[in-house]
Amino acid sequence: MFLAWNEIKKNKLRFMLIIGVLMLVSYLVFFLSGLANGLENMNRESVDKWKATSIILTDESDKSMSQSSMTLEDINDIDAKEIAVIGQINAIAGNGDEKTNVSIFGIYKDEFIMPTVTEGEIFSHANEVIASDSLKEEGFKLGDELHLSSSEEVLKIVGFTDHARFNAAPVLYGDLSTFQRVKFGEAAEANKDSINGIVIRTGDQSNLVQNDSLEAIEIETFIRNLPGYTEQNLTLNFMIYFLFGISAVIVAIFLYVLTVQKVSIFGVMKAQGISNRYLSRSVIAQTFILAAIGVAVGFGMALITGAFLPSAVPVAFDLVTMLIYGLVLIVVAIAGAVFSVLTIVRIDPLKAIGG
Amino acid sequence: MVVLELKQVKKTFGSGHMQVEAMKETNFQADRGELIAIIGPSGSGKSTFLTIVGGLLSPTSGDVIINGNNLTELIEKQRSKIRLKEIGFILQASNLVPFLTVANQLKLLDQVKKGNMTKKELEELYEDLGIGDLRTKYPADLSGGERQRVAIAKALYSNPSIILADEPTASLDSDRAYEVMELLKNETKNKNTTTIVVTHDIRLVGYCDKVYNMTDGMLTLQDEKSKVNQ
Ligand SMILES: Nc1ncnc2c1ncn2[C@@H]1O[C@H](COP(=O)(O)OP(=O)(O)O)[C@@H](O)[C@H]1O
Ligand SMILES: [Mg+2]
Repeated sequence: MFLAWNEIKKNKLRFMLIIGVLMLVSYLVFFLSGLANGLENMNRESVDKWKATSIILTDESDKSMSQSSMTLEDINDIDAKEIAVIGQINAIAGNGDEKTNVSIFGIYKDEFIMPTVTEGEIFSHANEVIASDSLKEEGFKLGDELHLSSSEEVLKIVGFTDHARFNAAPVLYGDLSTFQRVKFGEAAEANKDSINGIVIRTGDQSNLVQNDSLEAIEIETFIRNLPGYTEQNLTLNFMIYFLFGISAVIVAIFLYVLTVQKVSIFGVMKAQGISNRYLSRSVIAQTFILAAIGVAVGFGMALITGAFLPSAVPVAFDLVTMLIYGLVLIVVAIAGAVFSVLTIVRIDPLKAIGG
Repeated sequence: MVVLELKQVKKTFGSGHMQVEAMKETNFQADRGELIAIIGPSGSGKSTFLTIVGGLLSPTSGDVIINGNNLTELIEKQRSKIRLKEIGFILQASNLVPFLTVANQLKLLDQVKKGNMTKKELEELYEDLGIGDLRTKYPADLSGGERQRVAIAKALYSNPSIILADEPTASLDSDRAYEVMELLKNETKNKNTTTIVVTHDIRLVGYCDKVYNMTDGMLTLQDEKSKVNQ
């Protein structure tokens, strides 16, 4: 640390450059991880809230809830501790001023996917709904009457709940019958058994269904199959992993250039009898110092930026993920120092002192 | 007591008609408390001799033995340890680390080995070399002579058993040169070390116990102060 730190102190500008580059790379990594996390939340947070283990959909639906159509009778074919039925339909909802995409969930309020109300009250009459509180930011409020794009029904917001978005749309939770009226209109009465799926909470995942036309899907699998979800994640994660590689290369190049410039200095120290081990450790320590500072500043900058971003930007920082990525960045930077270590080991002290 | 011994040591560079015999077969011994001068013209093989003695250059044949360790039988890692523990180099080229202050040049040695000078000894060394005011300066801010004196401080600080100096007074004026020789002599006598000084400055040989002459790779004893004279 002695050599490493003294050199940094003496050549501040040079090392600030490396720190600056590492800071920008880590800032980008943290920001992208926040974006990935935020986009994930937009897709899955309502499902996560259920704390369910599986969902039963029709085999034909290919794991898509909106394409799955079944009836309450199908419950008889299911063997699980806790079940909750769900009907789901997408719609455009407007309160007169604002219009937005929503996902309407029809449920029974005494079953486990019933959300807790954070503001207002639960639905108790026909066409009353509990809305995702993300709608508040879009200008919706308690008591709003919602006109729907595809239906004559008018829904009324009686309560809000948090973390309730599904596949990037805010969720409106209402009674199953409310959902059926929205979906079937005049024919709602004839379809009063109609649901999209059955959500399950159970320990044992095997033999959930005794019906070949139904499929039990683990929740993670279900989420992965939401339209766009996997593609989005892959893209962002690919960018993040790519940045890990880039930071390794940047550090490797920077340090290598610095090391090559110092060949004669290292040579003199080696002539003196200072070991390769000490000198290598010093380079590693230096890399660690630079990377740790760069990553820490990038971390702070990402959090600060996050605090000032408009809520429409779906950035949600997950501290655990950020800490892991931060560590990876530091480790990767140290890996980039390996070339410099090899260079040091190969220096011939005799050449350095010019015989 | 013999600290350093060269047995039939020879060094040739290159091969064929490009071959240079930088050091002809040499036998050499140095005792504790001896200050030895090696004089000779440029290109005669003085630096070759010094780097072989210092374990930086492997001889073509023969053995180099420092305090019982045969350097030619050791791997570089072990030779490096011996250099660190036993040898203080004062090199022709400035051997200072540009990003360390004068004080830190010496402190670096505290990081890598024990048995260096005490605080009090260090203060005296600063005093003797006249570099006490320079401790917070970087090498780039020093004159050539100052750098040379810091390099000397660095070599002495680790209390080596052998001090190898290649033209240590080259960039010093006469007064400083004599002072440095005086210092090396005191160091050699007080700490009972062995000091070998390569120089072509004949004025300095008066300080030395033995004077060797290097001519075309041939080392010959030219002058030896009788023990009685000391
Ligand atoms: N690495 C080397 N390769 C080839 N020849 C060398 C090398 N080092 C020294 N020599 C030759 O060995 C001879 C002695 O060199 P050196 O020991 O540096 O002399 P001095 O220090 O007395 O000036 C010179 O002829 C020099 O050219
Ligand atoms: Mg020379």
